[in-house]
Amino acid sequence: MTELLIQTVVQGLLVGGGYALVALSLGLTYNVSGIINFAHGDFLTLAMYLALALQTAWALDPYVSTVITFPLLFVSGVALYWFLLRPVARSQLLMVIQLTLGVTFVLQNGILMVFGGQPVRVPSDWEASLLILGDSLFLRTPQVLAFAGSLLLALLLWIVLDHTETGRRIRAVHQNPRAAALMGIDVPRVRTLTFGVGIGIQAIAGALLIPGTPIEPGQGFRYTVIPLMALVMGGLSDFRGIYLAAILIGVTEALGTVFVSGTSGMIVPYALFVLVLLLRPQGLFRRA
Amino acid sequence: MRPDFFQFLRSPLLWIPVAIAACLPWGLSAYHLAIGTLALLYVSLALAWNVVGGIAGQISLANSVFVGTGALLASALYIRLGIDMWFGMVIAAAVSAILGVFMSLLDARFRLGHLSFALVTLAFAEIGELVVAGTDFLGGASGLDLPKDHGRFWLFEFGGGPGYFWAALVLALICLVVNQAILSSRLGYYLRALRDNEDAAQAIGIELFRSKATGMAISAALSSVAGTLFARYSNFVDPTLLASPNLTIEIVLIATIGGLGTPLGPLIAALVLIPVGEILRGQFGGTLPGLHFFLYGVLIIVVVLTSPQGIVPRLLSLRRRFRRA
Repeated sequence: MTELLIQTVVQGLLVGGGYALVALSLGLTYNVSGIINFAHGDFLTLAMYLALALQTAWALDPYVSTVITFPLLFVSGVALYWFLLRPVARSQLLMVIQLTLGVTFVLQNGILMVFGGQPVRVPSDWEASLLILGDSLFLRTPQVLAFAGSLLLALLLWIVLDHTETGRRIRAVHQNPRAAALMGIDVPRVRTLTFGVGIGIQAIAGALLIPGTPIEPGQGFRYTVIPLMALVMGGLSDFRGIYLAAILIGVTEALGTVFVSGTSGMIVPYALFVLVLLLRPQGLFRRA
Repeated sequence: MRPDFFQFLRSPLLWIPVAIAACLPWGLSAYHLAIGTLALLYVSLALAWNVVGGIAGQISLANSVFVGTGALLASALYIRLGIDMWFGMVIAAAVSAILGVFMSLLDARFRLGHLSFALVTLAFAEIGELVVAGTDFLGGASGLDLPKDHGRFWLFEFGGGPGYFWAALVLALICLVVNQAILSSRLGYYLRALRDNEDAAQAIGIELFRSKATGMAISAALSSVAGTLFARYSNFVDPTLLASPNLTIEIVLIATIGGLGTPLGPLIAALVLIPVGEILRGQFGGTLPGLHFFLYGVLIIVVVLTSPQGIVPRLLSLRRRFRRA
């Protein structure tokens, strides 16, 4: 029993690491632009299908093809912000949400038309590889890599945001766009580039999540909702909080799936979300 | 209730189109009649959504939960317990309304404005899909088959194409009248005041939670009834279709393309977009699945960028300008 428990918690930690990666990039774009991008998860799907295409065409391993997918997604993120979101950023929040929902439909069904609706697996050399700790703890190597990747990226994000000039500009735009503009910061430029990076990170997340996970065009919504929950539970602009909340969602999901029968186990993270909203609406780790 | 509501009820602009629509079953082929029925069901769904999304200005992403409740709960009660579907429809509508009020309650506690409401309702949409998939009583992931329709009206059977078309027409008409009634009543003014400036509205004594919860309950109940009718009409409840968040997004996009706030926008958008979508699906469904959704997506992006108030209000203002010139 305890073995199963430990195995489940570790599994949840690893899955949560993957969620954290997506949640952090969502948090980055939200905090700098003030826009919740409901198509965020669909860009992850896009990245995964690009990796699939590259693997079929040139037999590139998803880890390697990030070199190609990252710039592609960066450019599409920049284009998304510059051409679609920037013009409406000042109008009602409702309209912006609608617009990103429209982007969701375009991406989801565009992918559906090109690749078809059947779930597919992207073959990877790492897929079946296992790490064995002690005598009973089995870890799937790709998941360990994904977890390590998310930690590394979180660290990198922290260093950039807290200790570099670029980070200072980004934080300035987040805290007070007007004052930032008066200080000579090119606000639209900072926002556009940050959006590009945020979407670009999805290429890395996609590569890290791909091994062993079947992908399908309609999955994007789930990869928007769970990171969004992490974002809100973490307290919106507190990156440590977002990271921990994403891990927590991963762990509760794993525990729910193993210890609650059937699909109702998958409800546990959502129930947790509703509970957190009821009891700590300011975010899990924030003082009221 | 303002007098213009009764003017609206007496207006020939309302009854002449309804009378023409009511004659359609004698002129249309079965295929086109089915498209018409679907369009009318979407009119109901878009108008039900408009109460919360348009008049109150809150992005609700949980309407699939209400439609799913109406479809699955009423069907399950009928199949498993033999409860008459008229009664089941009322039970499901009541359950949906209670769920809607609960969501408003969560939203009122967690005040982040539009974002929190979108999130809370979105979480419920996901929960709803999972609950349905995990509950055998509701048919699980495989859905529910309803027994054959023998045209027994007291058992919620409308006997074939024309019957369901008229039923859908009546429901769409009810939704339209409810929208208009809300707009010209106290509640409509409260909701619009809250939409335009929440703090100012509360400062002059409008109760935030009570107004929003009422709007949400009405929207949820209407969506649920449309779900019940949809289930009986198609004889089969497909949970991946009715309980999935995609349905909600479709409704939201249709209503927004048409123009929010007034009933005319969602009404016309559903009447135009659903038939176009269905015909596209009929033509390209085999080779390019999802083409009609793709086009909806492109259309909404164009509409938000060029005329954020929606196409129908835009056309109306163009016509006014044209007349003046």
